[in-house]
Amino acid sequence: MIETIFFEEQIAEHQTTQRIRRALPRANWVPIDRYQELFNKRHQNFKLQKKNPALILAKKYDNFVLPVPSGFGMESHKSFYFSHMYNCLYDCKYCFLQGMYSSANFVLFVNYEDFFTSISEKINEYNGKTLTFFSGYDCDSLAFDKLSGFADDALNFFSEFPNAELELRTKSIAISSLLQRKALSNCIVAFSLSPAEIAKSLDSKAPSIGRRINAIKKLTNAGWKIGLRFDPLIYTADWQKLYSSLFSEIMEGLDPSMVHSISYGPLRFPKNMYKKAANLHPDHKLFAFPMEDANGVISYGTKIEKQMHDFLKSELTNYTSENKIFQCIS
Amino acid sequence: MSEVTGVEKNSGLLIKFCWVIALRAEATPLIDVFNMKIVENKSLFPIYANELTGHALVISGMGSIKAAAAATFLKNHLKINAYSAWINFGIAGFYRDPIGEIYQANKVVSKESGAAFFPGLRLSKLIPAATLFTVSKPENGYEEKALYDMEAAGFCEMAPSFSCNELTYVIKIVSDTPNVSSSLISKHLVRELIEKQLSKISDILAEIEILVEEEKKRLSIPNEVLEFEKRFKFTETNKYKFREIYRKWKVTFPSRNLDLSEFLNSKPKEIIIKLEKEVLANAKDWNVL
Ligand code: SF4
Repeated sequence: MIETIFFEEQIAEHQTTQRIRRALPRANWVPIDRYQELFNKRHQNFKLQKKNPALILAKKYDNFVLPVPSGFGMESHKSFYFSHMYNCLYDCKYCFLQGMYSSANFVLFVNYEDFFTSISEKINEYNGKTLTFFSGYDCDSLAFDKLSGFADDALNFFSEFPNAELELRTKSIAISSLLQRKALSNCIVAFSLSPAEIAKSLDSKAPSIGRRINAIKKLTNAGWKIGLRFDPLIYTADWQKLYSSLFSEIMEGLDPSMVHSISYGPLRFPKNMYKKAANLHPDHKLFAFPMEDANGVISYGTKIEKQMHDFLKSELTNYTSENKIFQCIS
Repeated sequence: MSEVTGVEKNSGLLIKFCWVIALRAEATPLIDVFNMKIVENKSLFPIYANELTGHALVISGMGSIKAAAAATFLKNHLKINAYSAWINFGIAGFYRDPIGEIYQANKVVSKESGAAFFPGLRLSKLIPAATLFTVSKPENGYEEKALYDMEAAGFCEMAPSFSCNELTYVIKIVSDTPNVSSSLISKHLVRELIEKQLSKISDILAEIEILVEEEKKRLSIPNEVLEFEKRFKFTETNKYKFREIYRKWKVTFPSRNLDLSEFLNSKPKEIIIKLEKEVLANAKDWNVL
């Protein structure tokens, strides 16, 4: 799968690096000074690089934990995010990473312990308040987990801080590290979902919706709390029917009390990001819709957004109480 | 070898592979196999090309600066497109035997400046990769477990700006090692080493060509757009808007073509508005699938 690994020489002996070295002994291991030497440099081509991305192992020095942008999380909690990784195994057409980075190579920051130190500092700073920490902002939280082993370390850490919530946001079905342990009451495994037909066209390389739903059910059966994320909402013919049957497929046989929260959000891009994404996929229908441009934000426009919001809100209340449903606008 | 032929100045349209090679002895086997003819022999950097096989080649002479300058000269002289691949090819020293092995440099370091480059997508299924040091004078110490040449760093500094880093490649064949002195390198040996790797080189090119074709498809501007832009006087802003709405219109109505006769008396702005209206009218039955 991964043929080339660039590693910062300073973390050559780090336990995470060593573990990955044991997992990929035959890969071509190339020493580098700093990951910025090759990540996100000018004249890189995200789309071509995505065909055969390399893994870059690096050490992060600062900004381990940041406040979430407004509209990202549940407003009732103080929320932060952290990114132990940049970029993703999957290749969703609407992914903002393709607009943010010119590089599709994966950067994995191996010094997880420094993330956890920063998180515990935040917990101490807000002593007594419920804090939520989102993982998977610049990546998918679990997609790379077989190699990174991050989830296990994060869960060990959060098991000691029952007042702090961890949200793992994912489209992955790599849930074995979760199933092997006792469910953690302060961890939410949040799955991003779209109707199967839409996901098939837009969520390239990600597991099918059927497999994601299957993973959700395995996790809830094992006692894990689940988040359902319908973000971005995609407008297409018969969207009401498609979303409606997606909801009933997910909820069928699912204990509603295991659903921690449901959120949904409109498809929106900052103008520059939209341009970059459309430039990478000029022939895809996602980028052929006559989107509206309001103050530098490209969207379906208020009329469609409101239709979708109203529909989702009313449909979802059939399955769970209103206080578990949130609209996210990022 | 070859005579000057009438390859057009805009032949870059058909060129898929641009070779930047230091020495004539390294270039000759490729000039022959891809049937390239000389198209520029009056300047410091001779250029060979063949539109039919899609290859162009410049002989840079030795040194990093010359490699960068020759690549730029080739780019400008043949007006090479942004989807063409750039390949720095030649012989190199290596820290271990045997000679004749072919490598892709996945990390190129200038010994002089310390700058590092990471050209190309890795072609690991076809050839092994190695780090390469570009030195300013011939290296006989082979201190690092790496390849040694005198051009690649200069090439890597320049070539990605012509297309992109993923279409920039450094491919080297080992000609000397601690056990095989560089003083033994002859024109004949160079030819022999390269000819032995021609079939591997052809496999590599087939792989790179897939990327070139994909980029060509992504970046090409359809003929009917060019025709309209020739026929109507678009301002720069309107040209951008026209291309953008044409893209959406074409994705929405893939079987339709722009009919010039429908717009004969139109102003550029009116063309844009008409296409916008058609795309918008279709939006209520929109199907993203
Ligand atoms: S799963 Fe998320 S992070 Fe990964 S490509 Fe898709 S949208 Fe981007």
